[in-house]
Amino acid sequence: MKNSFGPGALALLNEIKTKYPTGRAAIMPALYVAQEEFGWLMPEALEAVADCLELPEMTVRSTATFYSMYRHRKAGRNVIRICTNVSCMVLGARTLKGVLEGLYGVAPGGVSPDGRFSLEIADCIGACGSGPAMLVNDDLHTGLDAKKIIEVLENYK
Amino acid sequence: MISITINGKKINIEGPSTILEAAKKNGIDIPVLCHHPALELWGGCRMCLVEIEKMPRLQTSCTVPVADGMTVYTETPRVVAARKAMLEFLLINHPLQCPTCDKAGECALQDLTVRYGAVAGRFEEGKRTFPENVDDPIVVRNMERCIMCTRCVRMCDGVQGAFAIGVVGRGARSHVEPFSGGRYNCEYCGNCLNVCPVGAIMSRLHRYTYRPWQMDKTVRTICPFCGVGCTLSLEIRGDAIQKVSPAFGTGVNNGLLCGRGMFGYGYVGSPERLKTPLLRKNGKLEPASWDEALALAASRLLEIKNRYGGQAIGGIAGSRCTNEENYAFQKFLRAGFGSNNIDSVARLGLLHAQNLLEGVFGQGAAANVIQGIPRSDAVLIAACDPTRTNPVMGLQVRAAAKAGKKVVTIGHAQGLNRHRTHSLPAAFGTEGIALAGLLRELLRTKKFLPGENPELEAAIRGFELPELEEVEMLTGVPPAVITGAASALKDAATSSIIAGRELAASMDARRNFMLLAAIGYILNSRFFLISENPNEQGLIDMGCAPDILPGGRPLTLQTFRERCEQEWGGKLNPEPGLTLMEMFEQAGDTVRAMYIMGENPAFNLPGRKKVKEALGKLDFLVVQDIFMTETASLADIVLPSKAWSEKEGTYTNLEKRVQRLRKALEKDKNQESGMEDWRILAGIGKRAGLNNMSYAASSDIIGEIARVSPLHTGLGLEDLEEDGMMWPYKGKPLRMGGRVPPLPSLRAMASSLDAARVVLEKTLFHSGTLSRHSGALLDIMSGPEARMSPETAGQLGIPEGGKVKISTADGEMVLKAQIEKGLPAGAVFAGNNFGEAGSLGLFGYHLEPESKTPVLTVSDLKIALFEGHIP
Repeated sequence: MKNSFGPGALALLNEIKTKYPTGRAAIMPALYVAQEEFGWLMPEALEAVADCLELPEMTVRSTATFYSMYRHRKAGRNVIRICTNVSCMVLGARTLKGVLEGLYGVAPGGVSPDGRFSLEIADCIGACGSGPAMLVNDDLHTGLDAKKIIEVLENYK
Repeated sequence: MISITINGKKINIEGPSTILEAAKKNGIDIPVLCHHPALELWGGCRMCLVEIEKMPRLQTSCTVPVADGMTVYTETPRVVAARKAMLEFLLINHPLQCPTCDKAGECALQDLTVRYGAVAGRFEEGKRTFPENVDDPIVVRNMERCIMCTRCVRMCDGVQGAFAIGVVGRGARSHVEPFSGGRYNCEYCGNCLNVCPVGAIMSRLHRYTYRPWQMDKTVRTICPFCGVGCTLSLEIRGDAIQKVSPAFGTGVNNGLLCGRGMFGYGYVGSPERLKTPLLRKNGKLEPASWDEALALAASRLLEIKNRYGGQAIGGIAGSRCTNEENYAFQKFLRAGFGSNNIDSVARLGLLHAQNLLEGVFGQGAAANVIQGIPRSDAVLIAACDPTRTNPVMGLQVRAAAKAGKKVVTIGHAQGLNRHRTHSLPAAFGTEGIALAGLLRELLRTKKFLPGENPELEAAIRGFELPELEEVEMLTGVPPAVITGAASALKDAATSSIIAGRELAASMDARRNFMLLAAIGYILNSRFFLISENPNEQGLIDMGCAPDILPGGRPLTLQTFRERCEQEWGGKLNPEPGLTLMEMFEQAGDTVRAMYIMGENPAFNLPGRKKVKEALGKLDFLVVQDIFMTETASLADIVLPSKAWSEKEGTYTNLEKRVQRLRKALEKDKNQESGMEDWRILAGIGKRAGLNNMSYAASSDIIGEIARVSPLHTGLGLEDLEEDGMMWPYKGKPLRMGGRVPPLPSLRAMASSLDAARVVLEKTLFHSGTLSRHSGALLDIMSGPEARMSPETAGQLGIPEGGKVKISTADGEMVLKAQIEKGLPAGAVFAGNNFGEAGSLGLFGYHLEPESKTPVLTVSDLKIALFEGHIP
């Protein structure tokens, strides 16, 4: 397991540091960099952020755990966020969930055994007009059905 | 002057104050949960809500400042209803485990629930659950009981400066834990559990055995571990200390404690305590009666005196013994046996440091109040780490940093890594040269007002100081860093300087302290000297040194010697005696017998092998102690004494404040018949037919001290009731000072900057001889460690969790490697705490010629990975 930032992430962090008056103020953007670098905010990732910003480790952990949208558990290489709110549900989102479970063995909140996908249930991703919809990492995919979702996900290894 | 009305009572207040403080001062009780006088204001628990006229909403009285004409009501129906509602919210999740909770009886939540009415739950939902965490050897966390007042976190971050715990999660799932989520990796000060108002953070030391209402008594006394002299309270039931409680608002520490003081008390109840006198018979120590032991000690000492003269007897006084005991000890040897061979561990640095400073500024140069440190504009830490050696003084430095004051460290001070503005990381042993650089910069940049001491000024201007480039070559500190630190210091209107043994136990001690004195003079600083032992200062003030008499008067002063002779009824030898190390060097030769009171030289002096051999060469060795120490095991007579909690007396702390020790236990549960050290001396004195050694109580001795010592004239126990008494008590200091010899030239350093070295360090969790018998401290740190940075470990090829073998010409030992960030490269730190692995066994020494202070030396150092089994 790596426990320090690579050169790309370090460059990004150094740039972030110049934009904030104190290390404390830069915790949140630095955590995103760490999450990108390490996959999720494991203790080593928090330590690396603390080291980089010259802050106590506990300060970083307190901040990180306050926010639910950081990943606090091990995630797959690709994060699927599938919407199950009213529009998407009516248009068949639940079936899609079943497809993912059957094909990749990934349940909501979990990671597929091969580490390729993790699945999260999202509450409305703002694509109600063209549901069912999902986010894979930062990409939006709409108008899904059992066939299309497999085609889309084949692009994420 | 501000006038306000609280509950119809008119109150006048001087200066700024919150409503809560004003009410408290006037006997009006407002309940609080999150507020604590030692902590930053929070205003989170809403228990202190009050009604203020002309303000529509209830206000938190802990945060609202008083304003002239304010009318406040603290217990109106509206206020009571609000408090009751707040309690109901807290009790939604708080488990009502009071019958099994250790906090019951002193729990703020319990008291308030009773006061404002038992609150019936109105929720169907279950309470939140968190498994109780018992991963830590000392602290139990029960987060179901936590009410999120954050007192512990504010203590840890804001006061202790350790940042070890924090609030994790949010909303109803918020809880407090350390970074690991399990065991703490912290300074174990225990201050978090001291401020917890409920039973969420508890000590395991008295788990399920402590009930506040079942205590027989609470005794306020002084901590037995270091020279800060913190006030603490002992909770006593039967014949045992149940727990140590802080006494917030009192003492030099204002209630704050460190791990040693908070958790280290267990040694007094150790089953390994000595129980009866022991006499060496046929090479073995065998139990004997007090009568037999005291009579034998008296007759053997007399025999040696008669045969070789009094100077054949050497004595080492005890840094853990009281002023009274140390006074009686030097009198016993001086007047009783005609020997001036009296010394103590103050010889390891404190005495020399003090003498050098007092030589310039006069007696009492380092008698300053610790609580003044955070009020200084700047603090200079010279080659020491107060957060380790004198932890509660270290907190004052951290408080200064928190208040935005300048904190400049010279050399290595790990505990201040987060609390300093400037660091001059001079290599070990070169800190004095960095001081020279700093002085040079200060002289260059600071406007010198025509001072009070023209001679001193002229002397300072005459110093030959190195160029900053030269300083960099020798110390590794770049010129820009020195310039930066000097500019931070030069504008300080008030400043404090803290220095330790390291600068004094050096061949360059005089140079180091002249530089420090010069900097102190220019900055108008107050000085503080680190003092490792609880009564190290008292040793000096009581005359436990070969050339000084009580009150710090030189032995060579005839008039004062005569005064002592008159009081003591014996002739004093006018020739100063041998110093600490000289006594061992001459053992078996001119020194035939030694009397050691509460000290363990076979363990805590450098040149361990030689010291042990020296003890073996003596005709006769008497040791008074509470444990079978390395030294006691070599003795001819071992006399069990009483622990700090079992006797009355006084200690003098590093501020030179005399404070009272109070007897909390008659005798320990495991112990049958230890005697106070002074009583043992009196017993031997009586049997040896000595004059004036009969005392009935410790208070008799302080009465005599008040007659003999010009510094303590008229001092009585009644003067020491509250926070003790500051130097110069009621007496007169000796007029001297103003001597500034020219600066000795800068010596090139013998070792190169990047060579690996072993550094003797003071461990935060252990003090040496006593702490080895404290179960709690052993749980926190169970064995000897060699601490080093990841880089150093890499160079030496030592993996995490590996073992290191360190060997020198003086000894070798195997230690567990502890790899830590933030330590200087090339250094391996080892404390002198655990028997054979006590790191002083690696060091030899040279005597500094002027003061005979032993200066540590290391030769033939080898540090390598050890792959075998530790025997």
